[in-house]
Amino acid sequence: MLSRTADALYWMARNLERSENNARVLNVQLINMLEAADQQVLDRDWEEVLEICASYRDYINHYSRMERGTMIEYLTMNPINPNSIENCMKVARENTKNTRDIIPGELWEVLNEFHLDHQDSGGNIGTLARTKDYLKTVARTSMTAQGVIESTMTRGVPYTFIKVGKWLERAEKTARILNVVCEKQRREPLQHTTNNYYYWLAALRFLNGYDSFIKEHPPTMDSAYVLDFLVKEEKFPRSINYCMTHIKEAIMDLEGGQVHHYSEELFQLTDVILAEISDTGIKDMNMEELMRFLDHFQKQCIALSSLFMETYYLSVPTSST
Amino acid sequence: MLKNYQTGAFFDEMMNSDATPKPHYEWFYKLVERFSARELDEKHETAQLSFLRQGITFTVYNNEGQTERTMPFDFIPIIIPESEWTMIETGMKQRMTALNKFLEDIYHERRIIEEGVIPRELVDNNPYYYRKQVQGVGIPLDNHIFLSGVDLIRDEHGQYRVLEDNLRNPSGMSYVFQNRYVMRQVYPELFFNHSIRTLEHEFSKLHQAVCDHKPSGCKGEANVVLLTPGSYNSAYYDHMFLAQQMGIELVEGRDLFVQDGVVYMKTIRGLKRVDIIYRRIDDDFLDPEAFRPDSALGVNGLLDAYKKGNVAILNGIGNGVADDKAMYVYVPEMIRFYLGEEPLIPNVETYFLSDPERLQYVLENMEELVIKNVGASGGYDMLIGPQSTEEERALFREKVIEQPNQYIAQPTIKLSRAPAFQGGNVYPCHVDLRVFVMNGTEMNVLPGGLSRVALKEGSLVVNSSQGGGGKDTWILSGGGETDA
Repeated sequence: MLSRTADALYWMARNLERSENNARVLNVQLINMLEAADQQVLDRDWEEVLEICASYRDYINHYSRMERGTMIEYLTMNPINPNSIENCMKVARENTKNTRDIIPGELWEVLNEFHLDHQDSGGNIGTLARTKDYLKTVARTSMTAQGVIESTMTRGVPYTFIKVGKWLERAEKTARILNVVCEKQRREPLQHTTNNYYYWLAALRFLNGYDSFIKEHPPTMDSAYVLDFLVKEEKFPRSINYCMTHIKEAIMDLEGGQVHHYSEELFQLTDVILAEISDTGIKDMNMEELMRFLDHFQKQCIALSSLFMETYYLSVPTSST
Repeated sequence: MLKNYQTGAFFDEMMNSDATPKPHYEWFYKLVERFSARELDEKHETAQLSFLRQGITFTVYNNEGQTERTMPFDFIPIIIPESEWTMIETGMKQRMTALNKFLEDIYHERRIIEEGVIPRELVDNNPYYYRKQVQGVGIPLDNHIFLSGVDLIRDEHGQYRVLEDNLRNPSGMSYVFQNRYVMRQVYPELFFNHSIRTLEHEFSKLHQAVCDHKPSGCKGEANVVLLTPGSYNSAYYDHMFLAQQMGIELVEGRDLFVQDGVVYMKTIRGLKRVDIIYRRIDDDFLDPEAFRPDSALGVNGLLDAYKKGNVAILNGIGNGVADDKAMYVYVPEMIRFYLGEEPLIPNVETYFLSDPERLQYVLENMEELVIKNVGASGGYDMLIGPQSTEEERALFREKVIEQPNQYIAQPTIKLSRAPAFQGGNVYPCHVDLRVFVMNGTEMNVLPGGLSRVALKEGSLVVNSSQGGGGKDTWILSGGGETDA
């Protein structure tokens, strides 16, 4: 397969996953804000959401005020935010368009349909109700697209690049969410139980893990349990451990089960990362240690992503000269 | 629906002047009568949406940036009886054989010039004559024209005439297949009682024709790619569709790389050698080292690899000399010269404006003529006399006087028409037919082709970039006029 094609598939998957994740986080926030205790808490929640879905600093550089409508617009439609949902969906569609010769026709149709249904809105999703409809459609589109991929694609090279993109994006997002939540808790000098409960509940909801979590654990939102679940639970499809294990399996498939000289480094790094996860006792760590671990993990994800791209020549210059 | 249909002074594909259908449309006419107006509206809507949802679009660039547009589809097909089609097919093969011999000749011996059949300056001054680049280069099968799209029209007597030979990068083949696909999905009832030549096997023939061009040095299976300028090109859908259907890799210039006269593509496992390139990039942009240095679409060193015979490039380089509007006038002479035959399908009468007498005549009769720039295509830089304004004619008068060699004139042909269903009404629209001829070890004409229709009432321009639409084209098989 052409490197450019592999690159497009990889970024298609990442952007699709990113738009779904960001839509979910924003949707959770739209509900949380209704019960926020005071303006200070509300602002801090929004700061956190901006940091998870984009970059708080970038936002503040453009708009000095934490105004709800502006923030929602920034996260959904605003073209100056490269991670706005609309931008991610656009990149995903463009990449699908450029690989239509090898992906299932329905996958292109799903993303094209989203584009056709939203191109005339002119970036206006006005009321809260319409914003929520929009976020739901984004999530559904991503899930439908994944359904098409799972039910129709041959488990070959193109499929694997899509999956690696998806899992890397997920792992990174999970780490980022945990980091932001830990940071918030650390900044609270008083370990206030109600606040803790609220933070970790939000983390689970951001990652669509609340329902799964309370099946196995008491609904006390003990941070140690929540963190352990989101980092190490091997059965939960958004845990860091789950994503990394699947990335390793995917790369193994790609290489026909063998470690070649050009892929050796890649295998080594996935092994290191997996060992780091399994050797880390989340429950015994304090917040400082946890944040160090999560910071380190995020860096490892970025390293893995660039090593993966390097191994398969994914970063193609834009011109042949 | 067609009770009050007026054929007027034109040849109509479907209807007689007394509002009865022609024999080969009788069944179709009866089947359509069974639909209510509302059903037709709904089906029409479904068909247009189907193209949009599938993203069968072309990109149009205008002041506000780019938009993706679909080509409007009209459900009333152009039906061609088998005997007529056989004549077209034979005529196309004859024409392509002669044109290919012409290309082989002018890039080698130049006999046709030496023998005075074609004026030397017409060839030598042609901007698309790439003698410097490809003179004397031997290519697989000596075939320069792997795929051509010949535009046919019919005059007021129903006589088919060639309007244009597109020997460079004819587009639109995907629409032939998609028009048929949508037609079968949305209007299955209309296929009843018709026996139509299928398009199902055409891709294997097309693929075979590509592979027939394997360079002699290539051992084993050839690695074939389709080279596209990329998704911003207006015909990108066409490229994508053909690559997908033939199961070949769709590549861009930046995916290719030439080293020591060998072409490689950049894959996830490193470099892989490329043997045959079906390119959809014009000559000018193919190789910045050999043609336009500012091309960002091309591949450095491609021409060198081609000359060394390490890679086959389809269509051949330098075909533009044979299909411009000036050389067109000489195609009947080429057929006589190379084949010793009379052309089966005539040209449209054409005047060179470089001839002062002709020029005078044309300037005096501009409102009755069509004037075209010999180097332009897609309906651009063209004056349609009877529909032009005083200002437009004045502008063209200046252009023509300034550069008479750049223009040709043709009498306004009463282009044939066919009924089209748009906005709840059926009205006559001008049509033409692009016939696709593929050539490898054997020559094969795609049964049917792309019927293009000028949907704006009264318009003569069928190009999709200017509001033209498409129709399915049916070749009746089994000689049946009205086979029950």
